[in-house]
Amino acid sequence: MTKCPACRVGFARGDFPALAEHLVHRAEESDSDHVRWLNQNLTRTKSEAKSLVPSLEAFFDLGSASLTSWVKARFIAKFFGKAPHPFVVALQHPSRATLLGYVVEHQHFLRQWVRSCAFIMARTDRPEVVQYELDNLTTEYGGFGPDRPSHYELLLRMGESLGVDRAKVLSTPALPATRRAIEEWNEIATREHWVAVLTAMHSLELIANRNLVDEGASVHYFDPAILSGNEIPPAAQSFLREGYEADVGHSDEALALASRFAGELEVVEEVQSVFLRSMDLFDDYLIARLERAADFEA
Amino acid sequence: MKHNYEGCAICNSTWGNVWAEVEGEKLFFCCEICVAQYRGLIERVRQATGWSQLDSIEISGDRRGRTCEVAAGTAHARFLFSFNSEGKILRFQPAASLAPR
Repeated sequence: MTKCPACRVGFARGDFPALAEHLVHRAEESDSDHVRWLNQNLTRTKSEAKSLVPSLEAFFDLGSASLTSWVKARFIAKFFGKAPHPFVVALQHPSRATLLGYVVEHQHFLRQWVRSCAFIMARTDRPEVVQYELDNLTTEYGGFGPDRPSHYELLLRMGESLGVDRAKVLSTPALPATRRAIEEWNEIATREHWVAVLTAMHSLELIANRNLVDEGASVHYFDPAILSGNEIPPAAQSFLREGYEADVGHSDEALALASRFAGELEVVEEVQSVFLRSMDLFDDYLIARLERAADFEA
Repeated sequence: MKHNYEGCAICNSTWGNVWAEVEGEKLFFCCEICVAQYRGLIERVRQATGWSQLDSIEISGDRRGRTCEVAAGTAHARFLFSFNSEGKILRFQPAASLAPR
């Protein structure tokens, strides 16, 4: 099955003419998600559906590349291109406000993360995928005992080190963009093929994958120099270092599993579209971190 | 008011079909989010400049950050701006004007 990368409605596999008709139709209705996708990925110029088909086919074509390489190239283009995502720019040398915006919105994200990964485990029949998710969930949320706290715990400690206690963080509702993204990630987790969910969620860990610079990213997620010295508090260094060290393995291992099972189960096209939608949600969610940061700027 | 874009007043896309009246002028937009963005932008420009009327607006850039060069009579000003996903202004700050004074 192929799917719309803006709303995930399905079409027969390889039916790019139907997908093009759908995109044009929804754009004519001025639907912002569809217009956005066309503007950012194919063209800003209104076109007939049939003239979009070759561009769509080229966009989704893996060529001789693996699904992993295709996902990484799309991710780099969106978040680490010539003009990196504004949150990535802000995180290079983050202010207290930027880090607190991160803390307050990200605790909501991580709580959904657990749910999404749990759905993957519940719906896959592949033991290696279950093992991968167990390890990921322990690192991200459960922790390995007092000596190796979870990423979630490190996030809350970062907030405390910046003067905001965890009760305040945990009682602050998510901003609308975060809430919308979380709701759709939950829907993706419950409705899409588990390989698509695996790809949609774990591709997002590419954001902290320090090896992306070797593959064309213009910058790292943050300037690694902030992990030493006293530009940010030790608790913030611990939180960022954890992602910096874990997310190369997390994202690469998940994408290797995704590539393998998407091919085996013949779900490559739907995996691509669900991943594209997840990237757009993530883009909005990262902007919400900056929006929250503005609350702490005064 | 004079605009540099022939498509959507914010992003120049020709997709979509939204017409909205802003400052007494009926303008084309690709979606409702761009309408909200444009309205918010004009309001912030007016607040920042104190001008009662704008004669022209020239927008450049993309979703990662845009600039606008605005003019009223012989006065010019330039601003950097970006939006959140609902179309509200996230960042708005003056920039050096490129126009001759």
